[in-house]
Amino acid sequence: MAVPRYRAAEAALLIVEPLDIFTAVYHRPSGITHLLNEPAPQILEALDEAPLDIEALLARLAGTYDLGDADEDDTAILRVRLDELEAAGLVDRL
Amino acid sequence: MDDTPPDHGPAPEEPATPVPSSVTSRRMLMLGAVGASSVVAIRPALAQATASILACQIPVPDPGNAGKYIASDGSLAPPSLLGPITGYGPFPPPSRPFTGDEVQKAMFQGQNLPGATSKATQAYLAYIRKLKMGQSGYTCFLSVQNPRT
Amino acid sequence: MRHRIALRVGLVGFRIGSDWRAPIAALDALYRDYPRADFAHYSVRLEAASLARRWLRPAVRTMGDYHLPDAAPLALAHGLLAAEMGMNLQVALGHRRHLLLHAAVVARGDRAILMSGVSGAGKSTLALLLSQRGWRFLGDEFALIDLTTGLAHPFPRPISLKNESVALIPPDRLTGPLLSGTPKGEVRHVAPDAAAVAAMDEPARPALMIFPRFGFPLTLQGMAPTETFVRLTQASTNYVALGEAGFRALTRLRAEVPAVALDYPDGEAGVAAVESIWSAL
Repeated sequence: MAVPRYRAAEAALLIVEPLDIFTAVYHRPSGITHLLNEPAPQILEALDEAPLDIEALLARLAGTYDLGDADEDDTAILRVRLDELEAAGLVDRL
Repeated sequence: MDDTPPDHGPAPEEPATPVPSSVTSRRMLMLGAVGASSVVAIRPALAQATASILACQIPVPDPGNAGKYIASDGSLAPPSLLGPITGYGPFPPPSRPFTGDEVQKAMFQGQNLPGATSKATQAYLAYIRKLKMGQSGYTCFLSVQNPRT
Repeated sequence: MRHRIALRVGLVGFRIGSDWRAPIAALDALYRDYPRADFAHYSVRLEAASLARRWLRPAVRTMGDYHLPDAAPLALAHGLLAAEMGMNLQVALGHRRHLLLHAAVVARGDRAILMSGVSGAGKSTLALLLSQRGWRFLGDEFALIDLTTGLAHPFPRPISLKNESVALIPPDRLTGPLLSGTPKGEVRHVAPDAAAVAAMDEPARPALMIFPRFGFPLTLQGMAPTETFVRLTQASTNYVALGEAGFRALTRLRAEVPAVALDYPDGEAGVAAVESIWSAL
């Protein structure tokens, strides 16, 4: 069974405008403007290059940021964040 | 692995206590909670979203040409008994203006306009497609075509 | 329609038609100094609600490309208000050539202040008071922001003042009739001063955005980027319809123009605060 990998939507489909703690993202195919709060903009950035599965994404984020004490729920929480981004069309699941 | 925060993010928070220089300080990132949301769609004010298509009207023909008939290519024609008899036009004008919603369904979902046969619908739609800026119904027609509305 | 008039306000042409002469005559008088439109982008029709209601307690249904289906008709005596509301509605719902913001706009030289707020926030009154203190009036209902240049284009329609604000109308200005008993209370329209009407084709660069709130102790607060962005999307009637062009124009405005929230207790305090914020820029 293949583990799903995630990748940010093609750069050409999004217009990203950092504001402050929020980032505004215009999704061109739907015409919808989203406000992203952390960790969503950071996830989008981490998924900018190669597709990553959840564990690899978590590891990449942990390398860039201080995620606090590792928690068994982290993967589940990250999954929820990815589902939100996927629902908005900002992240593709492969 | 790059330890510096992305250049479009907020400035890194410095730790409160000094750390040895061999340890790089990384910005904290909260993953959030399962029940929380980090992606919120901007919802337009109600007036913008609903009033536009539902409330807008396209009179056929425009009030300045009231009473004229509509030929099958959408041009205006004098009243004629021939049209209603043969069914190929020119067609008498509808009794009331169409709403943007009705025109959208006719144009993109193949429904007939209310009270019209399919040939009459095509004639009315042809007329509507020829509307120019300044004619009644033009701005409504534009929003019918705009996929965002 | 039997009676009609074509008016140009900056970049927008209107054609107003009416089943009765009186509202057209009122428009003709109030818009005395305005150019007559060669070309109408939007049309407004003041129609009798029914054949009987054309003469018997005449009731005006405001129609056009856009109308609000559940709006109650207005009395013929309030026909001017119906026409003005009709013009606002066509622009609010149909305009796509500029980013629209519910905002009053005044300018000094070629730089403008956008004062954004819903009806009742006090932006019309502030705009009127500032226009009496050397500021050029570019409009009190809609700011028209060019999608490419970001400039604010004048849309100087008559200011509609309501209830207590009616008393603020200076005696030397051309006004419409005093309309009592309208759904908005007492309303009177005042034409912009001649200089503002004459300069209706001269845009200005937004240099300051103020979000005013009337009737509170004087408070001034800078606004964070996200709050400014969200409030601007709420202040725009066509942001969503404009799609990508709307996003780019709005984010550009947010990035380039400082924004402050201003609570003020009365007109004089508000005007003084606006002047001091401006001079601190």
